[in-house]
Amino acid sequence: MKKLYAVLVALLVAAMLLPACAPAQTGPECAKPEVFCVGVVTDVGKIDDKSFNQSAWEGVKLAEKELGAKVQYIETTDAKDYDKNIATFADEGYDVIVTVGFALGEATVAAAKKYPNTKFIGVDQFQAEVTPGVAGLIFPEDQAGFLVGALAAQMTKTGKIGGVFGTDVVPPVWRFGEGYCAGAKYINPNIELFIVYHSDVGFDKTFTDPEWGSATAKSMIEKGADIIFGGGGKTGNGAVIGAVEAGALAIGVDTDQYYTLPEAQKGLLSSAMKLITPGVFDLIKAAKEGKFPDGNYVGKAAYAPYHDLDSQVPAEVKAKMEEINKALLDGTLKTNVTPAKTEDGKGFCTP
Amino acid sequence: MQNADEKQPQPGWQQAVRAGLNAALVPFLAIVTAVIVGGVIIALVGGNPFAAYLGLAQGAFGSARAWSETFVWATPYIFAGLAVALAFKGGLFNIGAEGQLAFGAVATAWVGYALPEVLGIEIPGILHLPLAIGAGILAGALWAAIPGALKAYAGGHEVINTIMMNYIALNITSYLLNGPMKDKNPLNVIARTPEIAEGARLPVIFDGLRVHWGFPLALLVALGVWYLLWKTTLGFEIRTVGANPDAARYAGINFRRILIVTMALSGLLAGMAGAVEVTGLNYRHELGFSIGYGFDAIAIALLGKTHPFGVVLASILFAGMRNGATRMQFLTQIPVDIISVIQSLILLFVAADAIIRYLYRIKAKEERLVLTRGWRG
Repeated sequence: MKKLYAVLVALLVAAMLLPACAPAQTGPECAKPEVFCVGVVTDVGKIDDKSFNQSAWEGVKLAEKELGAKVQYIETTDAKDYDKNIATFADEGYDVIVTVGFALGEATVAAAKKYPNTKFIGVDQFQAEVTPGVAGLIFPEDQAGFLVGALAAQMTKTGKIGGVFGTDVVPPVWRFGEGYCAGAKYINPNIELFIVYHSDVGFDKTFTDPEWGSATAKSMIEKGADIIFGGGGKTGNGAVIGAVEAGALAIGVDTDQYYTLPEAQKGLLSSAMKLITPGVFDLIKAAKEGKFPDGNYVGKAAYAPYHDLDSQVPAEVKAKMEEINKALLDGTLKTNVTPAKTEDGKGFCTP
Repeated sequence: MQNADEKQPQPGWQQAVRAGLNAALVPFLAIVTAVIVGGVIIALVGGNPFAAYLGLAQGAFGSARAWSETFVWATPYIFAGLAVALAFKGGLFNIGAEGQLAFGAVATAWVGYALPEVLGIEIPGILHLPLAIGAGILAGALWAAIPGALKAYAGGHEVINTIMMNYIALNITSYLLNGPMKDKNPLNVIARTPEIAEGARLPVIFDGLRVHWGFPLALLVALGVWYLLWKTTLGFEIRTVGANPDAARYAGINFRRILIVTMALSGLLAGMAGAVEVTGLNYRHELGFSIGYGFDAIAIALLGKTHPFGVVLASILFAGMRNGATRMQFLTQIPVDIISVIQSLILLFVAADAIIRYLYRIKAKEERLVLTRGWRG
């Protein structure tokens, strides 16, 4: 037995010392100036989350293909690791670090001050003040919501449409919801809107409650709604899938959810898209060319193709949608949505 | 061979070391086995287990910052693990560490940011920090004493009640952080408190590293729990009630009081986990911080064989795995979830120790762990 213990103790000590002695393994020589490296730090969640993380990663993959960048990602498992995960890339000499989601905003700004030679792209991170080396990639969610709201108002047969969202205290979610209502009323001022935000639960739950999303969507359909817009992480995904299950049409959010929610394909009318992938790619390209814009960088909103339902969308609706999109892009049409929730919560959805 | 060893009289400390090694044998072999099985799983999904484990070890222990981050992770694990382990010693299964931790964090954060305003004075650091941590401890202890009292006087099983009280605690926390305690800064959209005052913060040990004085404090508290359990009358009473409540009653121990005190002490430790996370690391409380630590703590207490020193070692191991996972993924792109798989395997092998004993032909020598009792225990 004594020998066994001696072996066990020796093994334990060796296991502790080994990493310290082993030559430090490095990534693909990112410290060299000629090697262009891009890293992604996800928000708490997976890289293939069918949403922000995935879209940002796709933009980085595009940079790998088009710009020859070396790319890598780290999935965050706990909010207290934001700093460490960003530093893991920065210490290896990565040129550009993409941090995904507004929750990483403070950690990103702090890292930019610590690593002045690294460029940071903060997806969905509004910059209240300019920090050198940080570009906050933000989106006109109100325009994306406006587009799908206008689409829903033209496509509804019952004159009733619904929206199921995460919490409205998050300004982007508020803008999606308000834009949706504004767009619907732009087409039909008398349209009946069912809008519910999942503000009754904590921040940990509001975006990750697909059962609630599905149940809420179905109750709206029982009240006569025939198109449901689901916005807000898994909660919104649940609403989209629930609506399609109940035989109604659904509208996705953030990315073209035709590809990310295959179970909803047969009833997915469109998606209110933040064009994260091209936004991230454009910023990486700007960084490589030395034209990196500090401060806020407004990406583009769009509505996704109709896919399976293309034949059901009348030509005049398609033409009207293109007209609205064009007017929003050139600024002749304004959504008039407030940037964040109003004091009394009133807006287009609850006048 | 074993018998020969036992017959030889040995000096006290040697015997203690031997007993410690003996108790550590099954957990250690469980870890080794889990790592091997985990390696096979990594190989099956197309990764290189050696590269993965090297990355894991580097990330956990390969540099000063790696050690620092491992200790940062280990700190709440030790407190929460001690909480669960102490309850186990008293024959109680405290699944409520999660909720007690959350309340501890909320109370500490409130004292940290709001108390100076409420009192209208600046509280000196020498007073503010103990006050803040004290509030967290008290909140955890009170919250845990409730299921203790329910068990002692109403026969309500602590497993059910602590699980239920987790929901109450987490939902109240969620309400507070979204409502009255929310950081009113107009740019803030996150459900979190304002930052606590400078004076209420536990300082870091080394400049530039995040490891703070909460870690040495955790080690000190582990020593304190060991002293309490084995060197004081109260500790003896707790262990007696844990081992055999009927015998304890016949021996004249007020077992109702001990039940409540055990739960309160357990909650005190869990509350301290929350208090130290707020004062040492986050400087505020936020929804999503410290999620799941109370449940990890159960695994840690089991792996540590419910002994305070075992809990410290198990905490550092779990912390190292959590911390090293980032570098493992960075170097090898193996999903961090593999760490949860390995941790679960460890727990499986520790809990079902017959597997390990059979694999390595170890005779059962130690007393079996009594984790919890039925309704009338």
